[in-house]
Amino acid sequence: MVNLIQQLINGIVLGHAYALVAIGWTLLLGVARLVNFGHGQMYMLGAFISWWAVSDLGLPYWAAVPLAMAAGALFGLAMQRIMLRATFEQNLVSIMIMTLGFGYVLQGVAALVFGSTGQILDTPLSQRDIEIGDLWLTWQDAAIVVAAIVVFAALKWVLDGTRIGRLVRMVAEDPKLAQLAGIDVRRVYYGVFAFEGAAVAFAAGMIAPRTPILTSMGFEEVIMTFVVVVFGGIGSIAGSYVAGVGLGIFAALFGALVSPAYTSAAAFLVLIAVLVLRPGGLSAGAAKGVH
Amino acid sequence: MANFSWRRASLPVLAVLCLYAPAWLGGSASVYSAAVLIAILAVMSYGLDVIVSDLGEVSLGHTVFFAVGAYATALLSTRAGMGSWATLGASIVLALVFATVIGFVTLRLREFVFSLVTYAVSVVAVTLAANWDFLGGSDGVRGVPSLDLSLPGLALTARSDQELWPYAFALLVITIYLVDRFRHSRLGAAAMMVHLNPRLATITGIDPARVRLQVFLFSAPISAAAGWLYAYQRAYVSADILEAYFLILMLTAVVLVGRRQLLGPLVTVALVLTQEKFFSLGGYVDKIVLGSVLVLVLAFFPQGLAGLARLPSRPSRARASRPPAATTLENLK
Repeated sequence: MVNLIQQLINGIVLGHAYALVAIGWTLLLGVARLVNFGHGQMYMLGAFISWWAVSDLGLPYWAAVPLAMAAGALFGLAMQRIMLRATFEQNLVSIMIMTLGFGYVLQGVAALVFGSTGQILDTPLSQRDIEIGDLWLTWQDAAIVVAAIVVFAALKWVLDGTRIGRLVRMVAEDPKLAQLAGIDVRRVYYGVFAFEGAAVAFAAGMIAPRTPILTSMGFEEVIMTFVVVVFGGIGSIAGSYVAGVGLGIFAALFGALVSPAYTSAAAFLVLIAVLVLRPGGLSAGAAKGVH
Repeated sequence: MANFSWRRASLPVLAVLCLYAPAWLGGSASVYSAAVLIAILAVMSYGLDVIVSDLGEVSLGHTVFFAVGAYATALLSTRAGMGSWATLGASIVLALVFATVIGFVTLRLREFVFSLVTYAVSVVAVTLAANWDFLGGSDGVRGVPSLDLSLPGLALTARSDQELWPYAFALLVITIYLVDRFRHSRLGAAAMMVHLNPRLATITGIDPARVRLQVFLFSAPISAAAGWLYAYQRAYVSADILEAYFLILMLTAVVLVGRRQLLGPLVTVALVLTQEKFFSLGGYVDKIVLGSVLVLVLAFFPQGLAGLARLPSRPSRARASRPPAATTLENLK
């Protein structure tokens, strides 16, 4: 029983981690109807920059994460600059392949700069545990849960309740009409991609202390992001949050009861099942845009 | 196209020139090794080429078919003592089985959802290959014997890359012939129509789902056959056959010269492998070069380098720069 509750706690932490990693994709797909297959490698870059800032620059952890976010945002902007034409044409085929290419380049650059050995990012929070009876989690885990809730709530508030959110939703609804209405669509696209880069770097800075950091990582993160985005209903902020937490609990229980090595494979089988059972639901979700 | 038949007539000449190219380039072991690898990886890329260029979908799971061929060959030849013809047959049959399953599951999926699922298939395949002891786990499968295609009364074996080259080249020529036949077949025409105008295709009585599945079944054994020969060349197979490298190389091969350019994938693979084998800047920089080429071509020459040559003859630059596979989420239904 204690073990089950412990796994549930692990699952909730893991779920908030998945949701946090996926938030950039959710907005990207919901607003700009863009995809980013380099997402996993951007996560890897964010983790390495956080580690590098702490261990080589000697920055405190709370300053290292914003640095990684700035780098992520800059990279996102550069990607969007190069893909601008394909973005306006909504040429998803090209964008998919280009983002895969960006991911591959990032992997090469990271291996060149940071080397191929694994690294550990220790933070002031990750070394202190919270213990309640026989149950435990680290303060870093608690911080991940809080950060995910804050980011999701903030994003929901910005999209639903502010002028920027209204502009973004207009672009999501109909980019051409939005342009006619005098909205600088290009700036919205740039903004969305910068947010994607910063968000995934933030997630990496928060979550990477849980595992060793390797230049080859990112694949599992990207698969889990796919599952969260598809499950949550494409572009839905609240849906992604629920899907992320659900997936985390599933992954924790599956890892504990069946096999940790095949967790992402199992998550993917669930994804397949959903896609086969409701193939039409996805495009319908995309058409509705952000909500 | 006036020069079309002329171009086709020159193909046999080009083929003979290619066959003797490694010998003229000095005939050293490294030249033959590169030539064999170019042929194998070009064949692998042609499998994806028909999906991207003709069907207009991006399968990110074709490395799985390549790996299916390689693993089937390695396992059956080392554990069951099967000969090279039998492993070729098994590779093709297994690829068809996998393609049927993946094809059925993804039948109604389009565009990025299709790509996402095929990508997930390849990521799961890496997990399986690296963890499942039956597939050799992280050690892989070692000790694949050399290629032996001997027929009764005719010895056909290849123990070195130099001896392997004629077989690799034959596989390449057969593949290019098949892709060319496919593009002039009813299925090829149907695929293009499903790709460019799904509504018209349905009105004409074409079943898009059926066409997609058939093209998938045509393409998978091609990549698997490349994996079959790759297992014999390397003599061992491990999970690194599913690395992103092969996917990125395939995609570059499909887009660099231009979609539906018969020799495009071969030319691209030859260029990339020549750079990596003879002008390497170190593994990591080579990665950056390959990835950058892929991104920059799509961003600035969406029609491929062949589109560059055709540019001045087109009336409008804006038209010419439109990629042929441009599709949007709006025309999903």
